[in-house]
Amino acid sequence: MTNGAFEVPAKGGFSFDNCKRNEMLLNKGLKAPGFLKTGTTIVGLVYQDGVILGADTRATEGPIVADKNCEKIHYMAPNIYCCGAGTAADTEAVTDMVSSQLKLHRYHTGRESRVITALTLLKSHLFRYQGHVSAALVLGGVDVSGPHLHTIYPHGSTDTLPFATMGSGSLAAMSVFESKYREGLTRDEGVKIVCEAIASGIFNDLGSGSNVDVCVITKGNVEYLRNHVQPNPRTYTSAKGYTFSKPTEVLSTKVTALAQRAVVTERGDAMEEE
Amino acid sequence: MSIFEYNGSATVAMVGKNCIAIGSDRRLGVQLQTIATDFQRIFQIHDRLFIGLSGLGSDAQTLYQRLVFRHKLYQLREERDMKPETFANLVSAILYEKRFGPYFCQPVIAGLGDDNKPFICTMDSIGAKELAKDFVVAGTASESLYGACESMYKPDMEPEELFETVSQALQASVDRDCLSGWGGHVYIVTPTEIKEHILKGRMD
Amino acid sequence: MGDSQYSFSLTTFSPSGKLVQIEHALTAVGSGQTSLGIKAANGVVIATEKKLPSILVDEASVQKIQLLTPNIGVVYSGMGPDSRVLVRKSRKQAEQYYKLYKEPIPVTQLVRETAAVMQEFTQSGGVRPFGVSLLIAGFDENGPQLYQVDPSGSYFSWKASAMGKNVSNAKTFLEKRYTDDMELDDAVHTAILTLKEGFEGQISGKNIEIGIIGTDKKFRVLTPAEIDDYLGEVE
Repeated sequence: MTNGAFEVPAKGGFSFDNCKRNEMLLNKGLKAPGFLKTGTTIVGLVYQDGVILGADTRATEGPIVADKNCEKIHYMAPNIYCCGAGTAADTEAVTDMVSSQLKLHRYHTGRESRVITALTLLKSHLFRYQGHVSAALVLGGVDVSGPHLHTIYPHGSTDTLPFATMGSGSLAAMSVFESKYREGLTRDEGVKIVCEAIASGIFNDLGSGSNVDVCVITKGNVEYLRNHVQPNPRTYTSAKGYTFSKPTEVLSTKVTALAQRAVVTERGDAMEEE
Repeated sequence: MSIFEYNGSATVAMVGKNCIAIGSDRRLGVQLQTIATDFQRIFQIHDRLFIGLSGLGSDAQTLYQRLVFRHKLYQLREERDMKPETFANLVSAILYEKRFGPYFCQPVIAGLGDDNKPFICTMDSIGAKELAKDFVVAGTASESLYGACESMYKPDMEPEELFETVSQALQASVDRDCLSGWGGHVYIVTPTEIKEHILKGRMD
Repeated sequence: MGDSQYSFSLTTFSPSGKLVQIEHALTAVGSGQTSLGIKAANGVVIATEKKLPSILVDEASVQKIQLLTPNIGVVYSGMGPDSRVLVRKSRKQAEQYYKLYKEPIPVTQLVRETAAVMQEFTQSGGVRPFGVSLLIAGFDENGPQLYQVDPSGSYFSWKASAMGKNVSNAKTFLEKRYTDDMELDDAVHTAILTLKEGFEGQISGKNIEIGIIGTDKKFRVLTPAEIDDYLGEVE
């Protein structure tokens, strides 16, 4: 919009073009819409060989369940993953952006990414936006200096912990961790406690629900267990489906035949002469 | 009142067996007064890709123009159509760019990808994608649409049945929403053809 | 003075219609170390000589073939430092594309973007053209691809190409050896034989570099040990 008659694809960063207008609409008494949130229970813990992350899979829009099986454990680097709670668009965008920065950093340095690098990039972005980018994260990974687990708050503050919970179900999940966590857990014990913590979020916090996703990160290996536990299977489907006694009244129908997809043929790639 | 309720809208997309359906209502209102009964909310991006834009009518049209612009640039540059997934990511990026001053629009994207694989997706007004395997809904009638689709949907429907299911779900939902209705507009996209239907609905 | 009075600014054409700085840049490429690339039926190979100024330099610290994305690699002839600037910009471009579309950048698009940067440096004020030519090898939905990008910003798709000091001999050799149905392993052998032509001194895994990409779409720089194995095969 700022480029006169036509707009060119943006180079990145936020655009504030609509802010004035939106403010005007707001002042006229039209409420701004809510965004897609992940009410969420997300957790992480350090066990004897690495880090385990866990998340529920419910996304909400106000009181409505918008997505019954969304993914909240985001990829950051081959050895680092990150659980996100808060505004869904923010958690997605901030983890994607940092993951991209980490990839470029790996190309430059030729080394594996470190968890603190991811942590610093995330917190400095969040701090810059003073909490308006509302992402609450649990960051975990294993790097050259061992396993690491951090929590990051929307304002940019961070903690380094042996076990952590975040999101609206964090209290329910923490109650499980506080009573059952100890140092030197085995993998199976760790996964079990994580699943229990998420389950307590799913069943006691209304912002969390559906299934349990788990991600086990060890030195040189990642196990992403999508829908590891499915405690809420659908029970009310009719196998026959519905039949409709009265068909829809159609006023008009227009049929457009589609050309079959062209077979890709090798194209001469000659470019302009020098 | 929410800005989404200013014009009123209902959009829905559903997956069938190698086909997709995308539908919307046809009402454009200013709060409770109906202005137009042939308003277009579903737009064609290329042969096998459609986007439905619910929310504020003016933003829907502006956003559509920007999306067409970006898609045409892509076509010229890369000499191919966008895959539905790719397009969804582009829409998401365009919306998130305006994170702090959004378009009041909730898109619904439906299309057939390579090998005619169905793809549907919706997102909120700042681009948080929600991928679904069965159906997606948006607009002021979204709550009733969730309910209707949740019970009427079944996997692997043929185009004719898919059309009937989407149409019934749409009509049933808008009848319980004051702000949307006045007939429907439903596209059924199969690997060989696009069928565009105009539905008759209640006019109150 | 001759051409030199038109050399002060890049944006100034000489009366004969040349941009002399670009020609100088091509000269820099022509005196650089030889690099070559071959597109096989099932992959692409790029190779270069890695002659170091002194035996005291640690050869393990020099990497002339680099990855731009997991499925696209690049090698240069000419000025090493200039190539690093291009590699950095190209990687960033590839990453921006990925962030927007969540889809890996196609080889043609990355080549076009890289060439656009090189062109910009023939037209902007206060800069000079890049003293490098690039060979970009990639494998995507459109199959194996090999491109050469020159300092002017022009780019071509090649079945096999060479650049640098030994360009004419190498190209003649490649013209004789190239066949359309060549497999990746044959292409590596041909690449080594081409480098051997006019190689001063004994060729080894430590003084050449080879990068390959096959149907797995993962670009990989061969280790000195792997190159030695290939060297054993061609002898």
